[in-house]
Amino acid sequence: MKEPSSNKLLKLFLYITVFAILAPMVIITLWAFTNQWSWPSLLPTSYSLRAIKEIFAPYGNVFPILLSSIFLSLTVALLSAIIAIMAARAVVFYDFFGKDLIDFISMAPNLVPSTVFAMGIHVAFIKMSLANTPLGVIIVNLIYTLPYTINIMKNLTESIGKDLEQQAYVLGASPWKAFLHISFPLLLPGIIASITMAYIISFSQYFVTLLIGGGKVMTFSMIMVPFIAKGDRTLGSAYALVFVLSTLIVFGLINLILKKFQKRKEKYNWN
Amino acid sequence: MNKKTPYILIMPIVLLGVLFIYGVANGIIQSFGYIPAFNLRDLSLDYYIKVIKSPTFLDSLKVTLHISLISSILAAVLGTILTAALVYTGHTEGKIIQVIKLAILIPHTIVALFSISILSQNGLLARLLYKLGIISTQGDFPLLLYTKNNIGIILGYLWKEVPFVAYFSLSLMASINKTLGEAAENLGASRLKSFIHITLPLSMPAIAKAFLIILTFSFGAYDLPFLLGATVPKALPVQAHVEYIHPDLRHRPYAMAMNGLILLITWLMAGIYYLISNRKKLKGGSHERA
Amino acid sequence: MELELKNISVTLSKKEILKSINLRVEDGEFISLLGASGCGKSTLLKTIAGIIKQREGSILLGGKALDKVPPHKRRTVIVFQDFRLFPHMTVAENISFPLKMLGLHKDKCRERAVELLKKVKLEGFKDRHVDEISGGQKQRVVLARALAAEPVVLLLDEPFSSLDINLRKDMRELVLDLQKEYKITTILVTHDKEEALTMSDRIAFMHNGEILQYDTPENIFKNPVNTIVADYFAEGTYISGEIKGNRFISRFFNVDINRDDGKYKCLIRPSALKVNKAEDGKFQVVAKIYQGDNYLLKINKINSSLKLESILNEPLDIKEGDKVSIELDKDKLIFIPE
Repeated sequence: MKEPSSNKLLKLFLYITVFAILAPMVIITLWAFTNQWSWPSLLPTSYSLRAIKEIFAPYGNVFPILLSSIFLSLTVALLSAIIAIMAARAVVFYDFFGKDLIDFISMAPNLVPSTVFAMGIHVAFIKMSLANTPLGVIIVNLIYTLPYTINIMKNLTESIGKDLEQQAYVLGASPWKAFLHISFPLLLPGIIASITMAYIISFSQYFVTLLIGGGKVMTFSMIMVPFIAKGDRTLGSAYALVFVLSTLIVFGLINLILKKFQKRKEKYNWN
Repeated sequence: MNKKTPYILIMPIVLLGVLFIYGVANGIIQSFGYIPAFNLRDLSLDYYIKVIKSPTFLDSLKVTLHISLISSILAAVLGTILTAALVYTGHTEGKIIQVIKLAILIPHTIVALFSISILSQNGLLARLLYKLGIISTQGDFPLLLYTKNNIGIILGYLWKEVPFVAYFSLSLMASINKTLGEAAENLGASRLKSFIHITLPLSMPAIAKAFLIILTFSFGAYDLPFLLGATVPKALPVQAHVEYIHPDLRHRPYAMAMNGLILLITWLMAGIYYLISNRKKLKGGSHERA
Repeated sequence: MELELKNISVTLSKKEILKSINLRVEDGEFISLLGASGCGKSTLLKTIAGIIKQREGSILLGGKALDKVPPHKRRTVIVFQDFRLFPHMTVAENISFPLKMLGLHKDKCRERAVELLKKVKLEGFKDRHVDEISGGQKQRVVLARALAAEPVVLLLDEPFSSLDINLRKDMRELVLDLQKEYKITTILVTHDKEEALTMSDRIAFMHNGEILQYDTPENIFKNPVNTIVADYFAEGTYISGEIKGNRFISRFFNVDINRDDGKYKCLIRPSALKVNKAEDGKFQVVAKIYQGDNYLLKINKINSSLKLESILNEPLDIKEGDKVSIELDKDKLIFIPE
């Protein structure tokens, strides 16, 4: 059968979109390894590892900042996933006073721009000695990841339901063990999705971290953005490349560890 | 089972919720001029009145609305076309979706860098036009960055938001198309007609919600206008931050009043969205799944 | 161990589901909770297992109150209708789950799982994933898993209703065999009267959150306490009358019966009625319905509102419209006091 012409147009649109998404990535990859790329050349005129070397130069402290930034965002991501699992369980499985309010609170950050909230909480954080501390940054980042993670966990918790846990109870599992052995493994895909989502939100955060961290809490965005603001394409691109690659590596590791964890449990069960 | 269990489970979210509400309320109170730490104790609407009357604010508001409305409307339209393209060509999973997800996880700061390397006067686009003989010097290429037309910012938002709209409404449109769209075609509607009369209206809840999310986000966002915007007028959140870090602490309430207005307009947008979507729900059955 | 329920009342979302239930199940006994859907029988099962808390009353197991014992320590194991196999585990992992919860060593778990699989005739399935097996096989795995938990009371919640009809018979036999072998006190929840009649030592008939009658299958079938119970087992025609001096007297017929004096309703089930073709018969066949094993005859008394039904076992040459005479089997008549 002949393909309808509308399909061809849609396919064309799809390919243009994919090109539009990937082209800038290729361009900054090129820029990261550029020595000289003068007007009006369409490709770099000479290449070098200068920018990459500078980022990871022993005298700089980019690498330690990258690591601590990853650690901070992972902390946010883990906390966000745990809080989301708890809140989702409460809202899905129980009737309690103020349930609707919890539903609302968990979605509210979507309706308050982070700039507004960050400036509002800043003074309070200064009073509470949370300003300029990693903990303060973690808390603020955490709040803005929760709408996403709670949404993911709520949907999954709803679809898994309580039946299997009940079956586990009557088979002799305590509530905690029933959660650990039955619901937790079934929630793992959602946990991975939550952690990666929260991680990228936190790791991308610039303004909020700048304000609450007060320049004392250095994250990778903190050191990358000044180069972009200056319009330094070579170093900016090199940082951006490290940003994207490190994120992909972290995602890969999260997947690996949590999947391994699942495998290991299976082995413990059997074999 | 245990009556205490749900309360233990919600403890962390309640704690953070209280902190969140406290932060927002704190900012609002400051916008009325009450900051005891700076010896400001008189509650008044003066700061709001002065802010609303100031040309700087009005220019900022215009620029911000301009950016967020144009980028969000275009993103919603193009995002819907992208969703349709994904659904009708059978790419609802696989590599293309991975590419779309990639766009969602690239931060706005890096998107700014894309804009700089492609759209500036010596960027790749200008070079391409030069090679094609359309322009003869860098100066012939229009200014798209750091300037009042804000095209660099809008294109930056589009780069992230078109994939977002598609990703957000994909599952709804795919499921509708699979059942009702196919039924309509079976009843003799052309593909385009079945899309316009059946699939598109039923996918609207997801598309509308995605639109609200990107509209309110781009209205209150800092990163792209900070990195690519003109010196004057600045986007509202950037202007508010400028007031916020002003060495004269008496400027603080102005910053907060601007934040209060950002919040008000954001809620207005959300309110309009809920009104429209609720009226639709009353008129016909709701199909919202998003 | 024997199980005793004393005045159990359960309220869920402000609706009273169970009203002061009393029930005693002897050690090793197999009883059924029979009733239409919504009568509260599944709720009662969950209450025994501790998944639902009773508002009032007490549950005694072997003479000891269970009320403060959490579900996982009661050893009252439920087998649910929808199987509830753990989807992320293999067959053997499912079966050894309760053993693991008891703290058994994994080698021991494995050994026991293999043993139990043999009991339910599923040797060689241990490493299958639970979504790779058929409905009947799932049911066997669920049974093996329940047995692995070493239940003191086994609670079966409509366990056969999601199975094909021809599979049900095998499964019922398997359950009965295992129950006899392990001598487990067992409660079966069912809406299927055949199932209850054929499997149980006693049947508790439930209606609107109450137990209307608790008796042996034979007694509950032959001597239902009221029309609700009677109708559930087999419907028929009721004839009001009175027993006086061991004789039932009604508008239509009189019969000798050894009962106390008083007003009674006599239930004539189709099986209690024999029909003979007769030119001068006072009844007429209005419908003859083929039912596989036999025919159902619908007959009306001529010039009367009395309608009766009868079962015709041989395809005698009785047709619709024929005039017939009837004969009542006195032993199959059911008398319900009014």
